[in-house]
Amino acid sequence: MATDEKKRFIVPIGPQHPALKEPGHFAFEVDGEVVKSATMRLGYAHRGIEKATESRTWVQNLYLLERVCGICSHIHSTAYCLGVERLAGVTVPPRARYIRTIVAEIERLHSHFLWLGVAAHEAGFDTLFMYSWRDRETVMDMLETLTGNRVNYSLNVLGGVKYDIEPEHDTQIREGLFYLTDRIHRYIDVVTHDTLFLKRTDGIAITTLDDALSAGLTGPTARASGVQRDIRCDAPYLAYCDVPLQITTETDGDLKARFVIRLHEMLESCRYIEVLLDKLPEGDLTTRMPRRIKAGETISRVEAPRGELFYFIKSNGSDTPERIHIKTPTLANIASVAQLVIGQYLADVPLILIGIDPCFSCNDRMVIRQNDTWDVWDGERLRQYGIQYYASGGESC
Amino acid sequence: MTIRNIENLLKEILSDDAVKWHSLEDNRVDGIVPAGFLVPVVDVLNSIDDSYLVAITGLDNGRDDPTLDVLYHFCLAADVITLRVTINKECPDIDSICSIIPYASPLERETQEMFGINFIGTPDTSLLFLPDEQDMTCYPLRKDGLVNGVNDNGNG
Repeated sequence: MATDEKKRFIVPIGPQHPALKEPGHFAFEVDGEVVKSATMRLGYAHRGIEKATESRTWVQNLYLLERVCGICSHIHSTAYCLGVERLAGVTVPPRARYIRTIVAEIERLHSHFLWLGVAAHEAGFDTLFMYSWRDRETVMDMLETLTGNRVNYSLNVLGGVKYDIEPEHDTQIREGLFYLTDRIHRYIDVVTHDTLFLKRTDGIAITTLDDALSAGLTGPTARASGVQRDIRCDAPYLAYCDVPLQITTETDGDLKARFVIRLHEMLESCRYIEVLLDKLPEGDLTTRMPRRIKAGETISRVEAPRGELFYFIKSNGSDTPERIHIKTPTLANIASVAQLVIGQYLADVPLILIGIDPCFSCNDRMVIRQNDTWDVWDGERLRQYGIQYYASGGESC
Repeated sequence: MTIRNIENLLKEILSDDAVKWHSLEDNRVDGIVPAGFLVPVVDVLNSIDDSYLVAITGLDNGRDDPTLDVLYHFCLAADVITLRVTINKECPDIDSICSIIPYASPLERETQEMFGINFIGTPDTSLLFLPDEQDMTCYPLRKDGLVNGVNDNGNG
């Protein structure tokens, strides 16, 4: 045993590493090529957003919280709006609810296409990466046409939405969905039949239903193991209350199942958006919101592309929140990676990590306090530090 | 099982006085739990099919208030049961629930480093989010004179 332990090495990956698209640190103990244990360290993208919300107004926070994540920006602002509107006792017009839902589903397509490309790249299948990111442009074009933005759409306002869906938008979205549906069918065929690709995914990092439940997994990662849980169905909100969504699950729980489940979700999103466009009610886009929000607490739960997104919001009756707590799906899923990689080859680790579709920006939300003073680095100070750092040839200043 | 059934089940298992229940919203109840009853209550909630712990929220009750709240949110489909445990800032100890729900570990670590709450028995106490150089005698999400990274004296 002692001899075995002597043969083991620690392989550190991150915080900056080609296998990671965002910063995170993992230490893998390996015996030859096989991982024996793993530890993780997060926080490299921590920006203190929860604390920052306490010194901003309810309206200012909308713009801050939309920037928790660049991929699922809309769902963060939606979760926030739903909670604040509930506290204020405000009912959003039906048309605004439908438009929020349509953009949430387009965002899901955006997120899953991005993930498909990154996961294909980690599997060494760069052709699929390029095709899926090409198709993602169609989704980005839809969002840009609707809102003028490709990433932070800024669609939501407290009490409704800023942008309407005009007839020309309707046509563009439907044409885009028709094209994407065809492409998604093609990708399902590829990820379930391509022999080389299946060598990297089929039977790799299996999570059983019991394991998924005991690990607290959420979102497509959980549904790939047969967990029947989706907030859009379990606790419907927005247009999901009026128009039911078909939840899909897989049972294999391996990497292949995680590809298949997300692709099936994309098909369902395409179908669902078309149904919502057909049923889009007429009416206003916004309703009036008070500047001060009644004292109280509420919980807002939504289904983000990566799983259940949870907001706890407490108001003290003023124009700023008392406390906002965000629990993102990645925090629920990432702890499972440390278990999933045990017994797997080191070469499979990046793909296993990507399999849960981690979002470190969502997860990490910087302040440094030393002795008794807070040392806050604003944008200008960071810029000056960067200039001095590179001018001195990389010496810390 | 509905939220009311769970409430009644907990009342049967524990003494009536142990947990004070309040309905906050249609699908949400709030139970004020004495710190010593936390683990048995969590054990009951965790044993219910389809219920799961979704988040642990730390709450500072104010600069002039000597207490902190720890909120454990359990979900069952559309229903949310929140267990609210109040502890003293001078002695912010609370039992870990990781022996019952192992995936609570990162949630406890986050709450521990942000609020300085000591989860007794939690398996991993290393920093999850904060930088290694963080001074761990003060905690970012407490309200002790720190607003937007600036202290009471306006120093930043």
